[in-house]
Amino acid sequence: MGIYVKVAFRNLLQARRRSLLLGLALASVSMLLVFLMAISQGMADSLLETTTTLASGHVNVHGFYKPSTNAVAWPIIEDEKKVRPLVEEILPDVERVVSRAHGWGKIVSETGSIVTSVTGILPEQEDRLRERLTLAPRSAYMEGGGDEVVGDVSRVGEPGTIFLFANQARRLKVDVGDTVILAAETSGGAANSVDLTVVGIGRDLGMVTNFISFTHKDTIHQVYQLKPEATGSLLLYLDDIERTHAARKELADALASRELEILEHLDQPFYMRMDALSNQRWAGQRYDVNTWEAEGAHGKWVITGFQWISYFLVSILVLIIVVGVMNTMWMSVRERTPEIGTLRAIGMGRSRVLLLFATEALILGLLASGFGAGLGALFASILDAARIPLPSDAAKTVLMSDTLRLSVRLDQIVRSVLVFTFVAGAASLYPASRAARMRPVTAIHHVG
Amino acid sequence: MSTVRTRLAAIALVLLFASPAAALTDEEALELIKLQDERQNSVGDYKALVFIEQKERNKNDQVYEALVYRRDVTDKMVILFVRPKEEAGKGYLRVDKNLFFYDPTVGKWERRTERDRIGGTTSRRQDFDRSRLAENFNVKWLGEEKLGKLDTHKLELRAKPGADVAFPVVHLWIDKATNNLLKRQEFALSGRLMRTTFLPKWFTVKNSQGKDVWVPREQRIFDEVEKGNQTTVVIRQVELQPLDDSYFTKAWLEARSR
Repeated sequence: MGIYVKVAFRNLLQARRRSLLLGLALASVSMLLVFLMAISQGMADSLLETTTTLASGHVNVHGFYKPSTNAVAWPIIEDEKKVRPLVEEILPDVERVVSRAHGWGKIVSETGSIVTSVTGILPEQEDRLRERLTLAPRSAYMEGGGDEVVGDVSRVGEPGTIFLFANQARRLKVDVGDTVILAAETSGGAANSVDLTVVGIGRDLGMVTNFISFTHKDTIHQVYQLKPEATGSLLLYLDDIERTHAARKELADALASRELEILEHLDQPFYMRMDALSNQRWAGQRYDVNTWEAEGAHGKWVITGFQWISYFLVSILVLIIVVGVMNTMWMSVRERTPEIGTLRAIGMGRSRVLLLFATEALILGLLASGFGAGLGALFASILDAARIPLPSDAAKTVLMSDTLRLSVRLDQIVRSVLVFTFVAGAASLYPASRAARMRPVTAIHHVG
Repeated sequence: MSTVRTRLAAIALVLLFASPAAALTDEEALELIKLQDERQNSVGDYKALVFIEQKERNKNDQVYEALVYRRDVTDKMVILFVRPKEEAGKGYLRVDKNLFFYDPTVGKWERRTERDRIGGTTSRRQDFDRSRLAENFNVKWLGEEKLGKLDTHKLELRAKPGADVAFPVVHLWIDKATNNLLKRQEFALSGRLMRTTFLPKWFTVKNSQGKDVWVPREQRIFDEVEKGNQTTVVIRQVELQPLDDSYFTKAWLEARSR
């Protein structure tokens, strides 16, 4: 085998210019694929981080409560004390349980208003959230604002306060220290309002931060007139995130066996179920047990879309590469036809001739795609380390981060190298088989 | 009709023997809001053409044209938008204290709360519905106040426990001379003023029993939270003839957009 590699390598060196050109093309496409995969992985990592701190646990128990069959469904667990011990008993590997209340209302400032969800938190349970939140510079939400950062992440969830995100502050034209009004309807239907002081304005982290803000849980209870024992959701963080799906099923089955009404699992955020549940004729308490992937479903759709576009783009380039490899091999076969004839005449079998040419393509594919993938990984790592701010809201929404985030994984590099090596080898098979089928006498007398 | 006359006579007697600034007792104040309810109650069916003009800060003004159908005996109501073109066919149906919204562009019905804003404007279902003040609120006389040149009674209404109302506290200004409701202020549970409504013009329509039904020709609703937002509701072409039962069904509303 060694001799084939040696011969193939020498042949590549002999046709240096041609090999270099084809190698460069292969390396470029390989680099592009690794780079696109790094973006896609960066999006997936951002989605996981953002979703599991801002909007979800690894597994969640959401409550829906309808006081009567005619009423709309409210995102309420009527009695947290009834559900929480069951959850902790059924899933002993839960590292922590975070309780949050949900509100939906109008936030009004002196000059603007937005309709958004307001999440009520207990600050003592929210270390992860505080770690994930970063304050936005004034330039992100104020016309003529500078790079100075004001506000205090440690105050997120203080009673009488609200933590907004840059896109919301921009629409409301508010700064840290300003007062906004949260106007909403109580669970009994009466209008209610509360004044809240803005204690921080966070950097946008994709679509999630367009529709979320944080206040103290008691504020939600006050505005919506909820009972003290009520909450909205229990966010469960597991020791091992890989157990998410199994844990969800175990929990849903076990809660159902204890006569709690568990809704059918759907791969969508809990709030998207509210309209459908409001239209159904039932009353009382029901629960939705879902995962962070369901809560981040919109992000998953974006990532899947991006991956399909990437694969489509790379497929077109791979087609060009295939044509290039075949063409190069044809030229090589043509130039070396007398040589092939001689080798066949002195006893080399057809399969060995085929192997010789295929090895040449495989070596070229391996070296070029390895080089390209390495370069792509290096380029992606440098850009990721540079934390380049994304220029537009659309880019932030799609990439779920306010900076360009790329994540390189070794398995993806290896996969990409293997794919391109295989493609190069496969593309060489037809010209190589033609070479192998030549009659020695014809090949020897061939004049190129 | 005789009830209205009796109430008017009772109120006139009270005002005759009272000193100019005499307080109304709770019973007298209650009579006054019962009078408001009765004057606006059509007893039979009700159909009106309504124009809704919505002014919002930083947005272009919007004008909607809608038809309102009511059957007060059974608390049924339909609001069907007919203009502008992109809103035509959208509508609300209230049956058995359920409020549904229909959007023909998606062909779906959605359950809404009774207090929902109509068409996303500052107006609410109650602005188009019959008056139910005495049924939903306890009332207290706050004093006399000048509203422009007019002398008015200022009343405070607080929602009864369990009453399904959008605003738990309401202040009313009622013209002493005509008993017309001229101004209404609505407060949130927190005490914040949420809306102020002026009702400068009223007109009457005779129902099938010959009773005069009072209708506010114009309601100017000011959003007190989002200052600058304002809705004007103008009611035209009120008809009090019996309506077919089919009007108050989902099928009828759906058929309007086909």
